[in-house]
Amino acid sequence: MKPPVKKDTTPFFVGYFKVPKKLRSFLLIAGVAVVAFMTAFGLVSGASQDDPGDGAFRFDYGRQTVTGVIELLPYPLLHVTEGNDRIKPGHTLMLTAQGKSGVFSRAEPLEGQKVTASGIILERGALNMLQVRGGARGLGPAEGSGAPPVSEPLGRWKLAGEICDGKCLAGAMRPGRGIAHKACANLCLLGDIPPVFVSTKPVDGSEFLMILGKDGGPLPAIAYDYVAQFISLEGDVSRHGDLLVLRMDPATIEVMK
Amino acid sequence: MSVKYIPVQWNKNKWWYDGFMLAGVVGFLWVFLYVTPEILSHERPINPQIHNARAFGACAFFMMTIILCIGPLARLDKRFLPLLYNRRHFGVMTAAVALTHFSYVLNWYFAFSGTNKYEALLFSNTSYGQLVGFPFEAFGIFALLCLLILAATSHDFWLKFLTAPVWKRIHYLIYFAYAAVVAHVSLGVLQDQQNHLFTVVFVASAFTVAGLHLLAFLHERKAGDPDAVPDTDGWVQVCHAKDIPEARAKIAVLPSGDRVAVFRLEDKLSAVSNACAHQNGPLGEGKVIRCLITCPWHGFQYDIRSGRSPAPFTEKIPTYNLAVRDGVVLVNPKANPPGTYVEPVEV
Repeated sequence: MKPPVKKDTTPFFVGYFKVPKKLRSFLLIAGVAVVAFMTAFGLVSGASQDDPGDGAFRFDYGRQTVTGVIELLPYPLLHVTEGNDRIKPGHTLMLTAQGKSGVFSRAEPLEGQKVTASGIILERGALNMLQVRGGARGLGPAEGSGAPPVSEPLGRWKLAGEICDGKCLAGAMRPGRGIAHKACANLCLLGDIPPVFVSTKPVDGSEFLMILGKDGGPLPAIAYDYVAQFISLEGDVSRHGDLLVLRMDPATIEVMK
Repeated sequence: MSVKYIPVQWNKNKWWYDGFMLAGVVGFLWVFLYVTPEILSHERPINPQIHNARAFGACAFFMMTIILCIGPLARLDKRFLPLLYNRRHFGVMTAAVALTHFSYVLNWYFAFSGTNKYEALLFSNTSYGQLVGFPFEAFGIFALLCLLILAATSHDFWLKFLTAPVWKRIHYLIYFAYAAVVAHVSLGVLQDQQNHLFTVVFVASAFTVAGLHLLAFLHERKAGDPDAVPDTDGWVQVCHAKDIPEARAKIAVLPSGDRVAVFRLEDKLSAVSNACAHQNGPLGEGKVIRCLITCPWHGFQYDIRSGRSPAPFTEKIPTYNLAVRDGVVLVNPKANPPGTYVEPVEV
């Protein structure tokens, strides 16, 4: 007598046949679980995003037009002499063009001269910047003469913080700083957007400092490797109008943990 | 199975499969894009372009995580096998979602400058000599290229054109792509996180993928296919005939490393290669339906006696000569050419 043949009753799925009854509830649960997990992951991922800060283009202020004196550091600064309700005389504005471009080439011929600047303000707390319109209507000579205020040396400082591009930081992007933004920041800085050092502790009342090379030139190439990282560095700080300027010593850069 | 190539051979199960997967993707994106902004109490919202880029990027990561969990789950519990059936469609969806993420990133972070945005993507950050600040975009580009290659070659035309072994090797790129995505996220957005909830979910997901693969590996070692035992005349013992259930098979590893599957149908035994001609799926884990061995992965079928797919299909697999002695199944380990008829042996 032959032994009884074994039977395997495990349900067997074939894609182009009907799903076996024994598998239907399992597969239904699996399908619903995929939808539930994905939805839950969407909630967790979306709801755990950090606050990007309050920086923004202030289109709500409308177009701002002010007069002042251009100083090239080499990034152009506008020392306001005739302001308006929002931008007071004595304020120092960093300048930028549209997109990821600075205004060096447009400001260079106007260095030390009185100009009229017109555009949209970017603002993040005490940091602001003027994105000027295109052509002479955005930045053009004004009648009269003037001179930038005499800079005030504030000595050598050791600071901890982050090198950012001033425009994204001020609100062109939210968030506009951090490692995920590093390549964008580098691209902005390569386009002559003014670089800004965000200090963890205020220096003479300000946590934002325009940052230059040791010799007062543009941000040195070596600094690009440290953009968006938490670093410490040393340099000479000076006040230009109401803006602080840090001339960094690249040899002192240390990556902080 | 098909005798001609058409874009998609739809059937009811594929519609259901794609429907659930698509519902998951839509659920993720809808909640991320439209629900969470209401939950976040930010003074000013994250830029829509960045919010969108994050939504599609995170979605692609979790889609890849699910894709990579299906394989080991199916090895640990056969009930998950149907999830393998249409996994390629989910893979193509993943490539599309990842491409959308790339598009948002490229047209935001790397736009608005005087430089070509593709060039800007490559040269904006060149700090390759450091971990923190490393150009994590490079890992993302690599992963996206992998996903696009996999999506572009996902159709059965490429499977046939490249042959199953080559196609499968190419599609192992998914593992490199996943590792690259883990590096992309770890060296990128995770470096900036203040709220660590996403970090926890991200790490748990990556460990789940790694853990399931490890479990499946250990399971295979413990309960994997046994080695065939050498017998006289170069033949090998595979198993006892009584251990083979009706319409099912027992698998054994031959001295050459190939696997043979011995099927029983109505008290007769037949031996064929264990590798399906389609994707090298494990035929021995399949079932005989109407005299046809049916692959558990995609339902490709072969005549149990000849290893030939029924007309008009043309796939063929090798068969083996076998014998039964004292209830023990013996197989000649030298495979017959694919499609060779072998008379089934009575038990």
